Amino acid sequence: MIASLCHAYCGGRLFLHVLGATLLFGGVLTVVILSIAGLRLTQHTELLRRLAFGLTLLVVWPAWIVMRVGAQLVLTSEGLDKHSPSWVGVGFAVSDAGIVVLLLLTLFGWLAARRGCALNAFAGLGSLYLVALGVAWFFMSAKPT
Amino acid sequence: MSKYDWLLFFHVTGAFLLIGGTVVAASLSLAALRRERPSEVAVLLGLVRFGVRAIYAGVFLTLVFGLWLVHDAGYSYGSFWVIAALVLWVYANAAGGIGGRREEETRKLAERLAAEGDAPSAELRARQRDPFTLGVEYSGGVAILLILVLMIWKPGA
Repeated sequence: MIASLCHAYCGGRLFLHVLGATLLFGGVLTVVILSIAGLRLTQHTELLRRLAFGLTLLVVWPAWIVMRVGAQLVLTSEGLDKHSPSWVGVGFAVSDAGIVVLLLLTLFGWLAARRGCALNAFAGLGSLYLVALGVAWFFMSAKPT
Repeated sequence: MSKYDWLLFFHVTGAFLLIGGTVVAASLSLAALRRERPSEVAVLLGLVRFGVRAIYAGVFLTLVFGLWLVHDAGYSYGSFWVIAALVLWVYANAAGGIGGRREEETRKLAERLAAEGDAPSAELRARQRDPFTLGVEYSGGVAILLILVLMIWKPGA
């Protein structure tokens, strides 16, 4: 028995999707913690800003790619790309709009790391993205109709 | 939404908090490994506590709602995947607890050294790179990954 809605052959694809999603959540949570700490701990703000930007590149982006590739593979193998339920639409809205959010997050992170500005925007956008990810995992797991 | 849907949502929420918190703790601990100044090590290890809180919440939610789901969905508590997941869950908690206590001692040492001049210290470096602590922490992370594998494939169900 494989996780719900997934046939025996798509376990690996679902694993990829879930692993990527959980790593993405953890990565965004980490950079949000670092950026908020960077706003408060002025003595170490440079270290925390650079680390937040570095982890955006090293953890958040790769996790998003793994999550999105896994989602597409499950979608195709299960035929959900032809008749998508509403919960799939919410998931894709959050994940695909996530590209824009991640691009902005990367820009703000770079500005914060190199020029010492935009850390407020980085922390705020990262926090909003965490909420959006929470909405997505509600629709992905509970699958409300 | 059915009862099963709600149970699954809270169980998955637990999984996100558990793995997400582990990512926070691992990222900050690894970043601390690369720092020499005790004050920087202390700051990074101090932030690990936020990841630990997420892990605690995740540990509680995954166990309670996971066992409830097994009952609700009609699986057997004696199935291989359920027993293996529980054994790995206990191991991951024990490993996290042991590693966490050692990291806390390292953080306290870093804070003391920071107050005494903030110079790089061989003792702090050795403590950060202690093979036992690193081994316990990494094996706990692998155990969590294996639980995710069991949850997806459910061998023996």
